[in-house]
Amino acid sequence: MSTTIQLFATCLIDTLHPAAGEAVVKVLQRVGVEVEFPQAQTCCGQPAFNAGMHAEARKMAQHTITTFEADPAPVVVPSGSCTAMLRHGYPELFADDPTWLSRAQALAARTFEFTEYLVDEMGIVDVGAYFPHKITYHPSCHLLRGIGVDRQPRALLAHVRGAELVELPAAEECCGFGGVFSVEHPEISAEMLKRKTSNIESTDAPVIVTCDTGCLLHINGGLHRQEKRPRVVHIAEILNTTLLQKPFTAENAESAEF
Amino acid sequence: MSQNPFHAHIHKAIANPVLQAALDANADRRVQARKTAFTTLEEPLEVLRQRAHSVRAETIAQLDHYLEQFIANAQANGMIVHRAANAEEAVNIVLKIAGNLPQRNTKDESVVHLRGSRPLLIAKSKTMVSEEINLNAALEAAGLTPVETDLGEYIVQLRGEKPSHIITPAVHLRREEVGETFHEKLGIPLTTDIPTLTDAARAALRQTFLEADIGLSGVNFGVAESGALCIVTNEGNGRMVTTLPPVHIALMGMERLVPTFDDLALMLSLLPRSATGQKISVYTQIIHAPRGANESDGPAERHLIILDNGRAKLRGTPLNDALLCIRCGACLNACPIFREIGGHAYVGALGEHTPYPGPIGSVISPGLFGSANFGQLAQASTLCGACKEACPVDIDLPGMLLRIRAGLDGKTGDGRRRKENTSGVGLPFSVKLGLKAFTWAAVSPGRFRLAQKLAATFGRILSPRAEQIKLPAFTGWGFSKDMVRPAAQTFRKRFKKMDNPSIGEKAQEHVGTLAGWQVKKTTPRQQDSTLVNQFESELISLSGNFTPCTTETLSDAILTLLNERGIDEIMSWNEAHLPAGLLDSLQRAGIRIGQADQPHIRAGLTGALGAAANTGTLAISSGTGRPQSVSLLPQIHIAVLNKSDIKKNLRELLQFPEIRKATSTALISGPSRTADIEMTLTIGVHGPGELHVLVTQ
Repeated sequence: MSTTIQLFATCLIDTLHPAAGEAVVKVLQRVGVEVEFPQAQTCCGQPAFNAGMHAEARKMAQHTITTFEADPAPVVVPSGSCTAMLRHGYPELFADDPTWLSRAQALAARTFEFTEYLVDEMGIVDVGAYFPHKITYHPSCHLLRGIGVDRQPRALLAHVRGAELVELPAAEECCGFGGVFSVEHPEISAEMLKRKTSNIESTDAPVIVTCDTGCLLHINGGLHRQEKRPRVVHIAEILNTTLLQKPFTAENAESAEF
Repeated sequence: MSQNPFHAHIHKAIANPVLQAALDANADRRVQARKTAFTTLEEPLEVLRQRAHSVRAETIAQLDHYLEQFIANAQANGMIVHRAANAEEAVNIVLKIAGNLPQRNTKDESVVHLRGSRPLLIAKSKTMVSEEINLNAALEAAGLTPVETDLGEYIVQLRGEKPSHIITPAVHLRREEVGETFHEKLGIPLTTDIPTLTDAARAALRQTFLEADIGLSGVNFGVAESGALCIVTNEGNGRMVTTLPPVHIALMGMERLVPTFDDLALMLSLLPRSATGQKISVYTQIIHAPRGANESDGPAERHLIILDNGRAKLRGTPLNDALLCIRCGACLNACPIFREIGGHAYVGALGEHTPYPGPIGSVISPGLFGSANFGQLAQASTLCGACKEACPVDIDLPGMLLRIRAGLDGKTGDGRRRKENTSGVGLPFSVKLGLKAFTWAAVSPGRFRLAQKLAATFGRILSPRAEQIKLPAFTGWGFSKDMVRPAAQTFRKRFKKMDNPSIGEKAQEHVGTLAGWQVKKTTPRQQDSTLVNQFESELISLSGNFTPCTTETLSDAILTLLNERGIDEIMSWNEAHLPAGLLDSLQRAGIRIGQADQPHIRAGLTGALGAAANTGTLAISSGTGRPQSVSLLPQIHIAVLNKSDIKKNLRELLQFPEIRKATSTALISGPSRTADIEMTLTIGVHGPGELHVLVTQ
């Protein structure tokens, strides 16, 4: 069985956290998926959409739709937030434009968040990961409530050998990122971030897992400012670890033995 | 920094430790209470939630029809119905009813001062519409005295503040502040004991209820099929103001309708659970008419003012679904922004107050009062979706916040009329410019790659060594966090260097499937075997008392109860509405039967129309020989209930034909209570503090 997907890496992973993108590719490859990366991709347009700038968001949406229309393969997005944008945001943007609406809906129908693709589309909960540490999970808002994906990442994490999953207190609370919000309302964002980091501290978990790079950058930036170790990782980075005691080294992934 | 009053209010709120402690306690307790309350629903929450959404959506879609039906029925029942297009009209209708319309400039003392020479006294129970039209200020300006009687509203009024939450007006205060306020305004010794504070308010307000010339209330739901007003309260003040004063005025937003009693039962299964975590509120009143010809209490006049004030024009617009709101406040409690800033911080661009804070407030304030000034509230959200998840009628609040940001909240009601020039509502020019530049780069892969390269270079200049860049506070981001340095090598570059073998065979051996992974199931709650047992346990959980008896042991049971409390005088329903011979045998044992309106009498004896087992609710309808005050004024309410009248749930209870026509029906679930001070439950506020239900075989 050979499956091919198109990876929509998201602008945040592409520009700020490429290690997560590499991990996504390696995990997918390990379970037999061929990964393509259309080089024309940029940003889904969510920042403009959330700011209420629909004209700008529409331009970016059209660019993204065109980019991924060239190939009929499913689109896998390692972000709940960007998946929600394609699934719910695009149809809203093109509600009055039947041509673009049907193109947006066609793309949305074959777009999947990374963990959703593994669990629901491929039926896989064990990707052969090994990570002998305590981990805690931050369910990002748009993943959890935007597209209703929660059991999928939890199932994948439950099958990581050696990992001890501890529940994050008030896990479902927003970290205070919210895109432009974190810049426009820095004081509120700061208070929300403080709650999130102190809940994280209360778990003693050395690693915090999330499926969204926005939350990851936000919480890590907060931890660093508080002179604590930035240690939020993308779920693909955990799923990609397969060697005892040496997490996150892609080179070692294939040599793990169970 | 910005001169916007919104930012100033946010800053002040975050810097206030008392407020922060109060808001944290509110969020933690209310959210948990709501979740716990939903475990006792008869059907899955999501089923009820979607049904409630459909009922409300259909009602709003056919609002003209239902309003017509509702008004016709209400008028046929003897209610005086007024329509107010805006706040000013609504205020003037109240003033006119009070006989004190300013332009009439009356010198006739008898009109203004119905009772003696003091200013006209208006006892108010909680109504957010009254806050919306700023009624108290108008009444005071006209020389009238409005007194808030909901404990939270009363505290806020004494302090000269506005409510900071649509359900719990004093949620921003701690007991110390309430103690100081009562010490200063009511002259009681300084205390932080919540029952003592509640008693002080009870004592102060009892006189208000008895002397008020007008009782003014809100309306939770209007029931179109019978013209009923449904009013939900816990303390009993709602019953007082709608029963004791000679005139009752109800203020209602025009969208607050449900078509039928079944729909009402559905809403009542969601509203109190969402609002306060109660299965049902203590008092759910269903009011149809003014005092009947042979009734001994109830207002002689009932007025209903139906307010538009911008609601009708929201229909059919992208903000249409804001009209589905049933004002439970769950979205406020769930909102992480509300938790940080509280209700008073939600202000317009010129510092204007809005009575509607939180997520729903950030939609309806721009919707009703204009997005020019209130549109900025919609930017104070991370779109985290906690509000939508908490909403018992599944309103897409994040979706509507986005539409306000995009300037789509067209005033004309012509659907999704685009106004691109007003996009980015509430954002500063610099942010919009940045996003325009980003768009320009992002629609071209070449420009995007160049921008990435520039960002990486800039990042290395700002932070040559460390992975994280220390941005200054003025950037917004740098206020509380550092920013990771853009990668020297982007993912798109790295991808080109990655191998792409089709399979890793070794790993595949360990691939499992979803089979065998169980979705967690909640076990359905065990129902009590019989209705009477269930009624008993629910009533007891509400701090009510349950006594099983027979017709023979009934009077002895009541006598024991009265003797234990040293009571020898009670007020009572007429003997025709009680088990035969009951009053006779009580009187033979030395109990005197006093007038129903005597406030000094400590116990009231009533029958009951029926009960709902799964919420511990009694239905008590008024009528000739069944005064409402008997179950309201005394400290102790004794009700005689026939076992066969216990129904399964509220929906079945509401099918008693009597409820659909009685002047007023009180659905009573336990003794009166409040949690308006620090959410600490206190039993016995304005209504009875003891409820005894004697169930006869």
